[in-house]
This record gives sequence, structure tokens and C-alpha cells, in this order.
Amino acid sequence: MPPIVVKPPTLQALWRSLPSFGGARRYLAGGTDLVAGANAAPAGVKARPKGGSFDRTEVWVDISGLKELRGIKETKTSLMIGAGAKIAELEASPLVRRWLPVLSAAIPHFASPSLRNMATIGGNAANASPCADAVCALCAEKAQVLLEFKGKRRKLALPALFKGPKKTVLRKDELIVAFEVPKWKHSGAYLKLGPRSYFGISKAAVAAALEMDGEKVRSVCIALASVAPVPLLAVKTANYLCGRMLNEENARTAAALVKTEVSPITDVRSEAGYRREMCGVLLERALNSIASGVSGIN
Amino acid sequence: MDKFSYIGKPVVRKDALVKASGLARYAADQDFAGMLYAAAVRCPVPRIKILGVSDSKARKVPGYVTLVTHKDIKGPNKWPLVVDDYPFLPETEAKFQGETVALVVAETQKAAKNAARLVEIKYKELPFVEDPLKAMDKKAIKLYGDDNVFAKFVIKKGDPDKAIKEAHAVVEEEFTTNYQVHAYLETQGVTAVPEADGGLTVYSSTQCPFYVLDGVAAVADLGYHKVKVIQTVTGGGFGGKEDVPALVASHAAICALKTGRPVRLIYDRKEDFNSMSKRHPSWSRVSYASDKNGKITACVVKYVLDGGAYSTLSPIVLWRGAVHAAGPYKIENVRIEAYAVATNKVPCGAFRGFGQPQICFAQESLVDDLAHKLKMDPIELRLKNILRPGDKTATGQTIGASCGLEELLETVRKRSGWDSKAGSHNPNSTRPASGPDKVRGLGVSVAYYGVGLGAKGRYLDRAGAYVNIYKDATVGVNVGNTEMGQGALTVLSQICAETLNAPYDNIKLEEVDTSKVSDSGPTVASRTTLMSGNAILEAAAPIRAGIFKTALDLLLAKGAQASSPMSAFRGVFSIGEVSVTFAEVVKECWNRRMKMGEQGWYVSPHTSYNMGDGQGDAYVTYSYSADAAEVEVDLKTGVTKVLNIYAAYDVGRLINPRLAEGQAQGGILQGMSWALYENLVYKNGIMLNPNFTDYVMATIADKPEYDIVFIEKPYAEGPYNAKGMGEVPLIGVAPAVGNAVRNASGVRVRSVPILPEKVWTGLAGNRK
Repeated sequence: MPPIVVKPPTLQALWRSLPSFGGARRYLAGGTDLVAGANAAPAGVKARPKGGSFDRTEVWVDISGLKELRGIKETKTSLMIGAGAKIAELEASPLVRRWLPVLSAAIPHFASPSLRNMATIGGNAANASPCADAVCALCAEKAQVLLEFKGKRRKLALPALFKGPKKTVLRKDELIVAFEVPKWKHSGAYLKLGPRSYFGISKAAVAAALEMDGEKVRSVCIALASVAPVPLLAVKTANYLCGRMLNEENARTAAALVKTEVSPITDVRSEAGYRREMCGVLLERALNSIASGVSGIN
Repeated sequence: MDKFSYIGKPVVRKDALVKASGLARYAADQDFAGMLYAAAVRCPVPRIKILGVSDSKARKVPGYVTLVTHKDIKGPNKWPLVVDDYPFLPETEAKFQGETVALVVAETQKAAKNAARLVEIKYKELPFVEDPLKAMDKKAIKLYGDDNVFAKFVIKKGDPDKAIKEAHAVVEEEFTTNYQVHAYLETQGVTAVPEADGGLTVYSSTQCPFYVLDGVAAVADLGYHKVKVIQTVTGGGFGGKEDVPALVASHAAICALKTGRPVRLIYDRKEDFNSMSKRHPSWSRVSYASDKNGKITACVVKYVLDGGAYSTLSPIVLWRGAVHAAGPYKIENVRIEAYAVATNKVPCGAFRGFGQPQICFAQESLVDDLAHKLKMDPIELRLKNILRPGDKTATGQTIGASCGLEELLETVRKRSGWDSKAGSHNPNSTRPASGPDKVRGLGVSVAYYGVGLGAKGRYLDRAGAYVNIYKDATVGVNVGNTEMGQGALTVLSQICAETLNAPYDNIKLEEVDTSKVSDSGPTVASRTTLMSGNAILEAAAPIRAGIFKTALDLLLAKGAQASSPMSAFRGVFSIGEVSVTFAEVVKECWNRRMKMGEQGWYVSPHTSYNMGDGQGDAYVTYSYSADAAEVEVDLKTGVTKVLNIYAAYDVGRLINPRLAEGQAQGGILQGMSWALYENLVYKNGIMLNPNFTDYVMATIADKPEYDIVFIEKPYAEGPYNAKGMGEVPLIGVAPAVGNAVRNASGVRVRSVPILPEKVWTGLAGNRK
């Protein structure tokens, strides 16, 4: 950790004290990415081409005490999830269980119980990793994200937050304050292919949310993790499914289509060709599981 | 059968409470007045010519004390190991990314780390070699000698070329295996404390305090009598704390001598990954030939280990691998050629199994391929060829009476349901699985393991003990082998308690202090129970005689019948109804001014092995294992889940069945993890995933169901007939899993780890 960590008591106080910080700053919420990253890049080996060690002159702003960022509330049309909500809080929330089947299915795949106790949903998004399980799930849930800077708010569709790996459209000192997730009557699935049974970063993951109209698909949203520079919405595949029957044949066609929408890479975690194929396998399995009612709600 | 008080009993671990409660003091818990902290400055690329090291920026860090380079080394700049090619600190050339080039010392750990980051190495990058097979090429850059070969061994028996020519069936394939990282919970760590007489006391997390003694005495140019190495509670080793702690300690020692203050050096996980030893990656080409009945007539092996930048333990790792490379079979015609080769990567060394798991994966996979080719059941084929008492190994050694391999194989056959399940050569006979796209299969392997250091390490194969009975009947025991989690303190306490008829709770085994016991060699090669156990037996024997005689005197004085035999059990001596306690007997011994402290010394029996042709007795005895793995393979994703491991072991008599079970479960999981998940990646000489995020190991969620059986074939030379245990359970797991994957899916993966990507590629190939 850097020598200076400040912890403002309220969002107002944070905005007021910004000019006094000076220099670079980073925002500390659950700390599971920031602290681990800082510990992993200290002295010694500095050769890793991309692995920059962090700047020790910067200030960390601890936002974990901000009440404005906490809580999960229900409105007539949406759930409002505070950016500071811990993943474990989402896991325990009856509202999340009732309304967000994809996120509910994704949470058991999110790191480990101890990390879920620390990590926040806002941090998961701000870290802008294309692998983020909860973010991928929220994209499929059609979530919007609320950003704030000195009292000025703006609202984006969640996928629009991401510009690339570790890159967001957040402006300097702009914070994620909440996620607004619509309440709609849908079923969902989250299928993740990790490096082992549990507690790993995905090679590929598929989040699917479907609202049915009898036997036909009325509305569908499909998001994928770890197979593009950002959490990816598979728009073409979703458009194909919309209005069609949810059967094995259409699931197979959708699986073939989704492979054309992704752009995976080869790295230490897996291979591009394998990842692309797995998107199809996972989507087909996700759709079939929804069709058989395995993970439906309502 | 003897009636034992403690041998064969699941007594509670001596170190259970301090470890479970957090009270144990590890290397990073050592604290001394005035202590400073060191941090390493490391080579950033695979190979450099060092032009200079500057601390001009580092000096500005508050708390900075000094820079330490090779110029501060007092003795010759050669770390004494097998071959002295590794300098304590490089002078003109660094040979792998992560090699320590210099150290900084500072008032706090943080200041040391920050300052180390600011030290500038001025260098010129040099061409490097990454692939060991390319390093063997005549035109390759020379890193070591004129051929980059650290060591070569040959084992020759009969005429394998002729046997292959005349064979009914021949199989020949190439195999590779990747690194394995020890991933001990406690990273490398040490504190060096200068003493008033100019000497040093070194507190080290290590398996091998006497190697640390060698290293520190050399780097400091001190007599051994002025260096004392004390092993701190060691948070795991698995071979990773065999040789390299001596290097880490030598660095701390130079820092301590230069500053005159205690210096602690604790590695973070990344530098531990980057610079500490690993299981060697391997390449091999193996052939087996057989007659039409499945009798194996020849085995030819070429085996190459990627040694990394310095030789360290590669020669002896290679030798063990070579000796066992034909597998536990009686084969008339054998040729094994084995090479350890230099590359510009992290030096590899000891890891549980020590050069055997790699070649065992190759040859046990290939034996399955031979069964397939012969259309024979893999277990039937093995039963025709495995070693039994009186048979000869590849080195011509006659197997002694302590060999239960046939029973082991029959045991896993029965317990795994082999005959009723898929356990045949037919990959189509897979059984019901948990869902669509999933198939199940069974695979088997057998392995043997030469206990102790064997002929190549015979001059090191001795061990000492000091047993001292205090006036209050408690017992202090010093040995030269270490506890690193494997249970040595407990097992050796059991042996001592049993021998003296002392209550188990009275025994205190000390962590190793090199000033208390003569050099007992390393704590490796599954040798501790055998070597230190026998040393304790020898030390305790005269004391036991005195105690037993005194006990008899006391019993007779209390009116016992002289004609009845005396029994000794759990700290009580009795004849009929008359009894005395161990404490009463010891008190009387002290009253009689008897000698209550004794030294013991055990030297392993002679081994006749000839390095020229590789023939003769290689090891004093062997332990054995048989594994059957049951897996489920997802035909769409290539993901393998190991459902069950049925394992049977002959490790001689068990001293502590609970600890033996623990060793077995741990070895299986570590072997399975290497087989399926662990994948350390180098690209252009740079390690890409030196962390637990991307170096993936099995978790408890991946663990198979264990079915573990011990068949105890007594070894007459062993303490209470024990052999060696620690490494045995790991060795045969990977080929059993690979064979099961093939049985389930039809896909043979000839490289470890057996990643889903490889299985998937194989499945795609089979579909075409």
C-alpha cells in the first residue's frame, strides 16, 4: 500500500477534499484487485513486459466507508445495487435471488467465499477485467451503471463502461455509485469454464437471460467473459434467438453464431481456438438448461 | 507379532498444537534486536553481461543501509553443491531472469524492497537458449562446458537392438512434462545473526541444515565451528527447501557480516517463483518391445531434463530418474541414456519423486499403449512383467524379500472394480457418466522407488542422533533430519519412545541444530524414518539396556518373581502384578550415576552400482506403489475430473498409520495437480505466470475420493521394519490419470499437464 490512504466519511466530503490530494490517486473499495496487485509487483523482478509496478507517490482513497454506495434497494421497475455492495451481500440478498437469476447463478463462480466477503460489485466493474464474472452476469441482466463526479451523475448501459482490458470510460475521479438493473420476468444461466473445479479465472464464460412468450423467446440478452477485450454482448446471437422457439436446433444454431461474435486470444490461461469453440459449447448448454427449466425463476 | 506401545499407532503429531494454533515460529517470526532487512536485486532478462550495479537512486530511500555485491563475499565465490558452477552472486554474467545479482540492506522490510527496486543494473543483453533439445545442438550457445550437458548417465544391459528387431510388438513414443512449482505455504526465508566471536548463527527454513552450513561457512570463509544453523519451523518443502535455502542463507550471511547486525531475508511469492528450484521439465523417447505373450523383452529410453541455468541438483535428480526409467519390470535388454541440459531459465532441482515422476509418466503411458497394441488388459500385461522378490531390475539388482508389488496391483484391481468396469484395452467400453457428453474410464500404473540416496549419493548416506534422558525422565532427542510437515518429529519420537519404553509424551525432538549432531546429510529421498530412525535406535540401545536392567532390579526388590519374564509397555515395567514406572526407573539410573546420554550413527549398507555401465545395486531397498485412477472426461470441453484414486503402497512397516494416510493423500493430490493443472509458462526466457492467479493448482474441490491401502512388507534393515514413504504416493498418479483419460475418451495425451485444450484437440483429431 502507498504511504497515504485517505478515508472520507461521506461522498460530499470526498468531493470537497479532492483538491487537497494532489498527484495520482486510486480508489480502494474491497481491495481484492488493488491490494493484491500492489503486493504482486513490489521490488525485485521488474522484467515482466507489461506488469508495471505501481507508483508509490500516489494516494489511495478508501471509499469502503461511504454509506451512499451501500445497499440493495427495490423500486417499481428496478433493483438499485450500490457500487459498494459486497459480492457476499448480493449472494445473501432475497431481491437478487428473486429478480436476477443470471447474477445468482454467477456468484458461486466468483472467486472464493473469503474474496466474496471483501470484493465489491463496483470494484468488479471498475477493474474492467474482461473475465469479471459478476459484471458479465449483470450485462446479461441488462444493467445500467450510474457514475458520479462532484454531484453530477450520468447513466450508461453497463457494457458501454468498458473500453478495453483494465480500461473504462470513467473520467478522472468519477466514481461508480450504483447499478440499476431492470426487473423483468426472465430465466437465466451462467456457465463458466475455469482452469479447475472452483476458484479460478475463466477461460470462457457465458451469461444468458431469456424471457419467454409461451414457447418462443420474447427477449434475450447474452454476455460473454474472457473472450473479447471487454465483457461482450452477443447481439447478433440474441437477435437470432428473439422470436424463435427455444429448442435444441435453434440452440445449436445460436452456438454456431456466437462463435463468430467473439474475439478470444491465446495467453497463459488458454488458447484462442479452444476458447472460441467453448463459447458455442457453453451457450448451447446454457440455452438447453434454460429450456429444461433448470435455472428458471418466477 | 510384537506388541508395540507406539509403533503402528496413530499417535497425535508432536507439532499439531503449535501449528494449528498459530504459535509455531516460522522464519519470518524470528526477531532480533537491531535487525535489518535484505531484499534481492534480480536479473530482469534471461541472460546479461553485467557492466555495473549502481545504488545512487536507492540511497535516497529513508532507512537505506547498504548495497551488497559479489565483492563482499569473503570466501571463494562458488556455492558448494554437486558441481560448483553456481556463484553466490554473479560477477560478470547473470544467466536467468530472476537470478539475484545484488542485495540491499535497510532498516525496514519495506525500505529494503523499495531500495532494491531502485538499484540499477547496467547490462548488455546476451543471446540465450530456452529449449534443452536445442541447447544440445552442436551449434548452440554454450552455457556450460562444451556441450551444455550438466550430466549424462548410461544404463546398459543385454542387447536391446536385437531384441527389438526380433520382437512381436514394439511401441515407441515421445513424451514431455512441464515444470512443477513446490508452492510451499512458507516462502524461502532466513535470518543471519553475527556472533561476538566473528561467527554466525543462521535461522533457516530448510530441509537441509547441513547444506546451509556448507554454504554459509564457504561464503563467509568461516570454520564450521563458528557457524551454527538452526532450522526454524518449516512451512513445507517438497524438495524446494533442499538446496536453495543454502543460497538464500549465504546471501543473508554476507549482509550480516557486512553490517555487523542481524539480517532477515524473506522472499515474496513472485521472486520465489522466479528464482527458486522447480521440478525439471522433461523430454523423453521410450520404446518397449514384447513377445506375443506380452513378455517385455526390451526397453530403450532417451531422457532429457531441462536443468536451467546452473547444475544444482540436476546430476543426482537425473541419476534417480535414469535408474528407474525402465519401470518396475524384469527386462533382459535395456538401454537408458539420460542427460541434464543447461538453458537460460530457473535452475531446477529436487521435487518429491526426484526425476522419477517425469519418466514414470512416459513409460507407464507407453506400457498401456503396448497393452493396447497387444490387445491385452493393461493389468494382465503388467502382472506378466512386474518385479517380484528375486527378480532383477534394469541395473541388474536382485529384488529383496520386501517387495509387495504383485499384491499391490491385485489390490487396486479388486478395489477399483477393474474387471467389472471399463478396465480393459477397449476405449469403447466406457461406463455411465454424470451427464450427456461425459464418459468415464479407468487407468492404472505401477512404480517403484529406491529408498535413500542410493549409490550416487552414498557418501552422504549417514545420519546421527543424540538421545539424552533428563533426571525427571523426560527425553531430549537431537537428529540431523528435519520436520517440514511430513511428520518426522512424530515418527522419530515414536521410535525413541518404543525403544526406551518411555511415555510418548516424555519425548521432545528438537528442530535441527547443526552444532548438536554430526552432518546427517539431507532430509530427502524418503530417508528420514530409515536413517534417523536407525541412528536413534543405535543411540538408545545402550541406554535401553541400562534402563531395562535397572527396572528388573527394582521389580525384584519389590518382590517380583525372578522366573517370570518382564514386560515393558507404555512407560511401565512389570512382572506379574508388580510394576515400576519409567520415571522411577530413570531416577534410580541417575542415582546409580549411569550414562543417560548417547550418540548414535547409522550408515546405509554398501551399494555396488557401477557408473560406467549402470549395472549393480543402485539402492539399498525399494518401496512400491500401484494406482488406479477413475476419471470423467467431458467430450465437448476436454475437461477431466478425477473421481477416484485407488492406491496401494508397500513402504515397509508403518510407524504411524495416520501420518502415512496423510502422506498418501497429499502425494496423490500433488501428483494429480501436476498431471492436470500446473502449467508454468516461459516465453522468450521470461516466466509469464509467477503467481497463484495464473499458476493453477488443484484445490480441495478438485480432490478425488481416496481409497488407500498399505501392504506392509517388512524391511529387516529398517527401524521396526520401515522403509521410506514420502515420495512414493506422487510418482504413479500422472500416468494412471493419463491412461484413464485414454480409456474414457480414446485420446492419448503425451504431455503433462493433460490440459483440457490438449484433450479437446485430440478429440477433434479423432472425429476427423
